[in-house]
Amino acid sequence: MITVNRLAVAIDIGGTFTDILIQDISTGEIINISKVATTTRAPEKAFLQYLERELPASRRKTIERLYHATTIATNAFLGQMHLTLPKTALITTKGFRDVLEIGRQRRSELYNLFFDRPKPIIPRRYRFEVSERLASTGEILTPLKLSDLHVIEKKIRDEKIESVAITLLHSYKSNVHEKKIKEFLEEQNPQLFISASFEVSPEHREFERTSTTVINALLMPFVSKYLRILSEAIAQLGIQVPLYIMQSNGGVGRSDVVQRIPVSIIESGPSAGVVAASYFAKSLDLDAVLSFDMGGTTAKAGTIVNKIISLTSEYEVGGEVHAGRITKGSGYPVRFPFIDLAEISSGGGSIAWIDAGGALQVGPISAGSEPGPVCYGQGGEEPTITDANLLLGRLNPKGLLNQTFKIYPGLAEKSLVEKICKPLGLGVTESAFGIIKIANNNMSKILRIVTVERGLDPRDFSLLAFGGAGPLHACALASALQIKTIFIPSTPGLFSAMGLLYTDAKHSFVKSIRLKNTDVDRALLEEAFLSLEEKGAALLKAEGFTEETIIHQRFIEARYQGQGFELQIPITSLSLADPKAIERITALFNTKHKSLYHYILENEPVEIVNIRSNSLGIIQKPTLKKIAVGTKTPPSEALLETRRVYFEADGGFVETPVYLRTKLLAGNRFTGPAVIEQYDSTTIIEPSWHVEVEKQGILKLTREWK
Amino acid sequence: MVAKIDLITREVIRGGLEYIAEEMGIILRNAAYSANIKERMDHSCSLFDGTGRMIAQAEHIPVHLGAMPLVVKRVMEHFEGEIFAGDSFIVNDPYLGGTHLPDITIITPVFYQETLVGFSVSRAHHNDIGGIAPGSMAGNATDIFQEGLRIPPIKFVSKGVINKDIMALIMTNSRTPQIRKGDLLAQLSANWTGEKRLVEIVKNKGVKTFFQAIDEILDYSERRFLSAIKNFPQKNSSAIDYLDGDGIRSKKIPLKIKLSLRKNHFHFDFTGTAAQVAGAVNCPFAVTLSAAYFVVRAITDPTIPANDGLYRHLTVTAPEGSLLNACPPAAVVGGNVETSQRIVDVLLRAFAKIVPERIPAASQGTMNNLIIGGLTSTNSPFTFYETIGGGSGGRPIKDGVDGIHTHMTNTMNTPIEEIEVRYPLIVEEYSLRENSGGKGQFRGGLGIVRKFKAKVPVIVSVLGERQKTAPWGLEGGLPGLKGRYYKVTLAGKEVTIDGKTTITLAAGESIVIETPGGGGWGNLAKRGQALIDSDHLDEKMA
Repeated sequence: MITVNRLAVAIDIGGTFTDILIQDISTGEIINISKVATTTRAPEKAFLQYLERELPASRRKTIERLYHATTIATNAFLGQMHLTLPKTALITTKGFRDVLEIGRQRRSELYNLFFDRPKPIIPRRYRFEVSERLASTGEILTPLKLSDLHVIEKKIRDEKIESVAITLLHSYKSNVHEKKIKEFLEEQNPQLFISASFEVSPEHREFERTSTTVINALLMPFVSKYLRILSEAIAQLGIQVPLYIMQSNGGVGRSDVVQRIPVSIIESGPSAGVVAASYFAKSLDLDAVLSFDMGGTTAKAGTIVNKIISLTSEYEVGGEVHAGRITKGSGYPVRFPFIDLAEISSGGGSIAWIDAGGALQVGPISAGSEPGPVCYGQGGEEPTITDANLLLGRLNPKGLLNQTFKIYPGLAEKSLVEKICKPLGLGVTESAFGIIKIANNNMSKILRIVTVERGLDPRDFSLLAFGGAGPLHACALASALQIKTIFIPSTPGLFSAMGLLYTDAKHSFVKSIRLKNTDVDRALLEEAFLSLEEKGAALLKAEGFTEETIIHQRFIEARYQGQGFELQIPITSLSLADPKAIERITALFNTKHKSLYHYILENEPVEIVNIRSNSLGIIQKPTLKKIAVGTKTPPSEALLETRRVYFEADGGFVETPVYLRTKLLAGNRFTGPAVIEQYDSTTIIEPSWHVEVEKQGILKLTREWK
Repeated sequence: MVAKIDLITREVIRGGLEYIAEEMGIILRNAAYSANIKERMDHSCSLFDGTGRMIAQAEHIPVHLGAMPLVVKRVMEHFEGEIFAGDSFIVNDPYLGGTHLPDITIITPVFYQETLVGFSVSRAHHNDIGGIAPGSMAGNATDIFQEGLRIPPIKFVSKGVINKDIMALIMTNSRTPQIRKGDLLAQLSANWTGEKRLVEIVKNKGVKTFFQAIDEILDYSERRFLSAIKNFPQKNSSAIDYLDGDGIRSKKIPLKIKLSLRKNHFHFDFTGTAAQVAGAVNCPFAVTLSAAYFVVRAITDPTIPANDGLYRHLTVTAPEGSLLNACPPAAVVGGNVETSQRIVDVLLRAFAKIVPERIPAASQGTMNNLIIGGLTSTNSPFTFYETIGGGSGGRPIKDGVDGIHTHMTNTMNTPIEEIEVRYPLIVEEYSLRENSGGKGQFRGGLGIVRKFKAKVPVIVSVLGERQKTAPWGLEGGLPGLKGRYYKVTLAGKEVTIDGKTTITLAAGESIVIETPGGGGWGNLAKRGQALIDSDHLDEKMA
């Protein structure tokens, strides 16, 4: 009998490593995991080579789902190495080219006389005005002047501009002029990337729409090229399913759609991690999880309270951390839903350096994977966090990834001596530990922002540490916040990629209604929902979902007429055939208004602003697998060696047992100091922390605090 | 001696309190009806403890926040023995801790079990509270009775029940009654959210720990403040600056400051400042105090948590009956928005002589208040209010910022697409005002040009400054360009109008607001060529 395994493949490409998981859809089991160095200049290369090498053509044909998380957009935006942003221009209504720069005219720091506004994302010289004007009704007040367009088009050519954003006043109401400009430019300059606001973010409020469209334009050449190459290469490998990309909202979107709105995938990589963390919280029934994800380039923190991921609609790209305040203005607003997390440029590849005042600094520049940390021996010259961990004995000097990836401690030491020790007059150990301490201090800030600054007590949370470097720093960070419990998932370095397999396919649609509740016709509302659901179902069926695996969720967005912000009311279980349906919706609105705002207005008309529908294709999730049970003492084959590792609490280097994660059995217990090595990560157990191996292979670390 | 509570508990409570204040601000915005609140966030929220000490504030509007402690104190005095769970008090009287009449403050006592543990407070700018001109911001008012409805501290909500009569009274006195109601309910909503969250914290940590944490949080701010001024030169300084006029007489009005720092204590003395004036630029003392608080925070360490502990080492005096400590019935609507900016200017000018490395040149020094009111084409009354940013002053290490709100305010602009949906107005231009920054090694920020065309006949009130005196430069930097307001008639003629006045526009006429640029810092000869070239390419400076 021939069994054809249906496969799902998840690829998480970070700044440093590319993580790949292959899952058997029928059993939910993960059948292959791999971590390869990211090929920064062509991020898709590493993954394509892997697929070609590991899966024969016949197996590749059985791939049914292909999910991808990428940090390409955020890395491009934050100016990581090798990625230069394309020259981008804005075309806008005459008299309004400064809307983008003035923003909402407020400063992000109230009392700082030396405040800065984020640098205008497109300088004034590349913001072009065109004579045209629409009224708020969409009516044309001033017709589009074609001769202006010819002048602008020439400037775009002369300045070698690659990408253009078009945002005109009131284009959310009528796209007539934006469309004309777009068509004109497409015709005149087919090479040009074009983002028009009516396609990217057709909502009112001109600054936010302009900002969102401009960021889209900035990312488009990059992301579009990348996804196009990737999709083509995948097709050439005989894989016939579309590529799905993790979006900032925790759901996936098809690459051909995402290509045109790259702004929706800015936090693709980190989102996958939080989705995985929430699945973990559900599986282990944990009510307060603090997720800490540290890779090669950045570290991210988020909270999952009562198993719910929190989304924010007020996201700013490149915004500065400002004591966790909601008041923003330090970054560039993007009007898309984002998973709420705090992020800092601190990863294994973060470079240590000495600032003008002679102080030791770590990050934000990362050595990425090319050249990578000095110890990789690929030409890196600047010492990194990874180099410091290595010189403190925390990483295996014989190599990473089960010693398949050779490293060079000598090079790391030489660079540290040159760049840090000599200028500061410090020893190697002192310098290396200094780097770790500074990095930990930086990273503890993001953990504080998502807890303390929001009035949540971190001591009520369990820390879930993942990412290749997360488990190296987990004990130190938990200690700084007096957290009692840490969980290290079984494959921490591949945990984010797991999030790709824990998500459902999701298509969201919204339709503007803007009617008073008393003027709403139930039948028309039902019809409107059905048409959105039809669109969703058609897409899902094209993706291979059957009727039984498709569900639709319905929402109403309403407010008292006169308010500026809507409340979202889930009405999936409410039948619009019920003659009292509208009254019931009004009642649901009032209940929600009462619980949030503590009052209701009985006689005030309720305005139904939008209807929203989510069509979900439910995917079979992998379950957490149990491992073999052992005794309290780890089996002897689990002890790899002992080596000298630096622990501050023990006053220096101590002979420390090094365990192999894969040989540990459920029920094993021991106490730090210890090192636990595995393919995709290394866990450091600091003195006073106790380890217990749980039945699903998860490490539970505990410590008592007075 | 009581053992100190642990650091994490203290920080969790501190962070929690500040987060509550921020959350109150979001709730207020989301529930509000007026564009001034839901789009511009012209409101502020804070928390006080049961003894009336400010314990946390959101990063909202400095002039609102600094004047709050006085109003809480007044309400506590006034209602001693009559403060119960479920109550909320309302007040806008500038002479009893308010700022100006449009700013209505609601104060809600917070009880945990039987103990008064604090107050949640919101202050919001209501876009019409009656008076002689739409928007209640008449630039030519001569006493407070012309400025609108004056509300002394009264109980607005008693044991959970809103007093409908008071609501009706306020609505009746406003040109936009439904919007008043929506905004007042939004304020109550914010206060109730603050109340609920504060109770959660107290319940969670225990009353005793909570009170002790408050003491320690305030002491912590005091310690931080003392450490920030440890190396401050122990010197005296003085300065003078001027208002353009009071909108009645076009005579410059002097503001004088003598400041001293002795034994870690700042003393600001405004003796020598003009007596209170006929026009609407007088300041109630609470506003003067607000501006003083702002400067002290800005020149020391802005990251110190703002609370009662921060201001323990500052005293301020201004003679009673003077511009900066006005007595009833002086008109005050512009004191809060305009004179407060000049108080900051004169203080910074005095500090520039002591700590020049910390002080920027003058910023635009005004808020450019613009109020447009009238009847829509369907005959319903409307009032549109906003303030417009300008240039910030050049700094000792970098240029000023273009087109932004500075010092005592930080409200947002109203989106053009919102204005044109809600009001019979067309925005014809919104741009940076080229060549308006004061030249220098580090130039001042550019002002803004904002141009409105009226689709129906309207009444326009303006309340602005720095049209006769320019924002000054420092260390050889040149002054920024003065502001200018003008109307464009149907024939296309530009007619300059006064900085503080009320005019009418016929349908089709326009009002143009050109806001001041910031002063420059340092000698122009030292300016780097790259900066000059970049400004040139961007057509910011010729």
